[in-house]
Amino acid sequence: MIFKQRRNFLKNSFLSSVVLLTYSGELFGAVTTMETMSVVHKDLFGEVADVPTAESINANSYLYKILKHSKITSQNKAFIKDGIKWLNEEAVSKYKKTYTKLSDKQRQKVLQEIADTIWGDSWLENILTYFLEAMLGDPLYGGNKAMSGWKWLNHKPGLPRPTKAFL
Amino acid sequence: MKYDICIIGSGAGGGPVAYELANAGYKVVVLEKGPNYSEKDFTKDEVAVSRRSMYTPLLKDEQHVINDRDRDGVVTRYEGNEYNWSFWNGSMVGGSSNLMSGYFHRMKPDDFRLKSKYGKIQGANIVDWPISYDDLEPYYTKVEEVIGVSGDAVKHKFSEPRSTKNFPYPLLEVNSATKWFDSACKGLGYESIPTPRAILPHNALGRKGCSYSNFCGSYGCATGAKGSARAALLQKCKAEIITDAFVFKLESNEANVTRAHYYDKDMKRKSIKAKIFVVAAQAIETSRLLLNSKNIHFQNGLANNSGQVGKNLIFSAGGVGQGRIRFEKLTKEQQRELMQPGVFFNRSLQGWYEYESKGKKLKGGTIDFLFEHANIIGRATKELRDDNGNLIWGAELQKKMHKNLTTSRVLKFEVFNDWLPTDYCNVTIDDKVKDKYGVSVGAINLYSHPHDIKIAQHLAQKAKRVLHDMGAEEVSVSISSAPPPNLVAGGCRFGINPKTSVLDLNCKAHELNNLYVTDASFMPTGGSVPYTWTIYANAFRVADAIIDSLEA
Repeated sequence: MIFKQRRNFLKNSFLSSVVLLTYSGELFGAVTTMETMSVVHKDLFGEVADVPTAESINANSYLYKILKHSKITSQNKAFIKDGIKWLNEEAVSKYKKTYTKLSDKQRQKVLQEIADTIWGDSWLENILTYFLEAMLGDPLYGGNKAMSGWKWLNHKPGLPRPTKAFL
Repeated sequence: MKYDICIIGSGAGGGPVAYELANAGYKVVVLEKGPNYSEKDFTKDEVAVSRRSMYTPLLKDEQHVINDRDRDGVVTRYEGNEYNWSFWNGSMVGGSSNLMSGYFHRMKPDDFRLKSKYGKIQGANIVDWPISYDDLEPYYTKVEEVIGVSGDAVKHKFSEPRSTKNFPYPLLEVNSATKWFDSACKGLGYESIPTPRAILPHNALGRKGCSYSNFCGSYGCATGAKGSARAALLQKCKAEIITDAFVFKLESNEANVTRAHYYDKDMKRKSIKAKIFVVAAQAIETSRLLLNSKNIHFQNGLANNSGQVGKNLIFSAGGVGQGRIRFEKLTKEQQRELMQPGVFFNRSLQGWYEYESKGKKLKGGTIDFLFEHANIIGRATKELRDDNGNLIWGAELQKKMHKNLTTSRVLKFEVFNDWLPTDYCNVTIDDKVKDKYGVSVGAINLYSHPHDIKIAQHLAQKAKRVLHDMGAEEVSVSISSAPPPNLVAGGCRFGINPKTSVLDLNCKAHELNNLYVTDASFMPTGGSVPYTWTIYANAFRVADAIIDSLEA
C-alpha cells in the first residue's frame, strides 16, 4: 500500500507539485507548476479567432504526458520545473506578486525580460516547442484536438497515421 | 549449432551478404542490435520518429564520446549523453537503410583514383582504391535491379559509364515546380539531372510501389517501396535473424574468429559459432567492436596488429542551403503547383564534380535539391525567431507561422563532397565511459580538413544561383565541418598493403582467415555522393567472394 501511494505521488509530482519561492532570502510563497504553466501557455500563444488556443489543444495535459516520457532527459524535465520557479521569482522581484497574479501587461513584461537572459530564452523555446508538439502532433497524443492545429496550417498528415502512442 | 556465416548488423552492409549466402543455400545467422519491424509497424508519427527518436537508443544507456579537434589543435571532449550529441542512426533490422531518403548516386571512375587524378593534399591521407569503377559497376547494376532504383540515365558532363542503357524502374512523380528549376538551370547553362532514388514507383519485386505519403527521410516505409535492406533483402531470404542482440566481443585464435559474444534483450550473455564472420555494424561501431575484441593474439584489437583499425574515419563533407518561394510572385496555378503534396522534387547538379581553380583541377561534388521535410512540428519550430534571432510569441508568432507555412514553400539543397581522411579523424575506445552493458564506448575523434569547406562553398554558390533565378527569397547557406552522423565511413580501409590497411581487396581482414567487414568501414575515400548505393554494391561484391571461398 505504501509503495502504491509512493508511485501515485511520483506520477503526479510534476505539474501538480508546489514550488516554493523566496525573496530577499525569505520564503515569499508557493505556486503550483500547473497553475503557472496554464497561464504561460495562454500568454505565449494568445487567444485569437480561428487560431488554436492552449485550451483547445490540451497543451497542459500534453505537457504532463510528454514530461513523463523516457526519451525526455531528466535534465530537461528539471529545467522545465526550475524555469517555473525562476519565472515566478522574476515576477516577485519586479512586482512583488507571483506570475499568475500579475496583469496581462505585467506578465508580458516579465516574459520579455526573461527572454533576454540565456536561461529564459532557452526555457521559453522549450515551452513553445512542446506547445507546438501539442498543437501539431497526432491527436493520439492528447493534443491537436479535432486536428485543429493541422487545419489551421492546411497540413495534410502523412499516412498511415499512428494507432498507438510512443510513450 | 555452428552456422556457415554469422553477420553482425543487418543494414546495407550486412543485408546483401545475408541475402546472397542464404539464397545460395548456406546457413546464415544475422545478429541485430535492434528490434524487427514490418511495413505495418511504420507510421508517419512525427512525435515518435522525429521528436522522441524512437529508432535510436537512449544516450544515457548507449553513447559515444566525441573529441573535437579545432584548427589550432585544441581538443574538446564531449560525452554524448551530457551534450545530447548522438551518432546513432537506426537500431533495427535493416538498420538506417529503413530511414534513408534513398538519394542514390554511383561513385564515379575518378573517385576510385583520387590520389592519382588530383594529387596529394597536405595533411590528408588520400589513397587510390585497390579496385576500379569497372570492378564495382556490375554490382551497382545489381543494386538497381535487386534493391530497386528508379531514375532516368540522362547524359551529362560527368555521367558515369553504365553497362545497361537505363534504370530498371522509371522516374517517380515530381512536383510541377521542377520545371521552374529546369528552366533556371537552362538559363544558367547548368545540366539538371533527375535524382535517382532507391524507391519503387510501382509494385515490383514483391513489394508495393510508393504511396507518395509526403514523409520519406527519417521514416520507415509503410509500403516497402523504399529499398531498405529489410524490405529488399532480409524479407526475401531465409537468413535467421536474432534481434535485440548486441555483439560486444569477437573471440579468436591466431588465425580465425571462433565466436561472437552478445547480450540478448534480457541482458544475458550468449554466443554464436560460425565458419565465417562478417561485421557490418556501421563504421563507428564496427571499429569499436574490433578494438574491444582484444586477445592474446591481437593485443591492440582484433585484426589490428597493423594499428590501422579505427583510422581514417570519414563523413560526407558539405552542408545545406535553402530559399523560400512565396505566393506573392506566383500565379494562382503556380501556387497550386508549388503546394502539391506527396510528389518529389528529385533534382541534382553534378556539373562541378570536377572543376578548375587557379589552373588546378579540383575534385568537386554533388548537389541534391529537395523540398523541406513535411514534418509540420519541425517546420513550425523554425518560425520561433524573428530576423534578428530573437524569440517571438503571441500574435507575432502566429502571423509569421501561418503566412510562411501556408503561402510559401522552402526549397533546400544538400552539398556532398569528399571529407578528406586525416590522422586526426578516427575511432578509438574511451577508457572512462561504459554503456549499459558495461562495455567501453567508442570515442569519435573529429577533425575536418580545411580543403573540404573550400570545395563545399564553391558548390553552394552554384546552388544559390539556381534558387535566386527561381525567384526564391531568404536564400541562405550553411557550410560547416559538422559531421553528418548518417553519412559515415572508413575506419577499416581495404587495400593491398597489410601495413596500411585492415582489409584485403575482398574486404577480408588481412590478419584473419574468416573475418570480413562489409559496411562503409572499408572505404578509403568516400566519393562525393551519399554512400548507401556503394555500400550495397560492395557488399554484393564481397558476398560473391565469400561464396567463392566457401565453394573452393
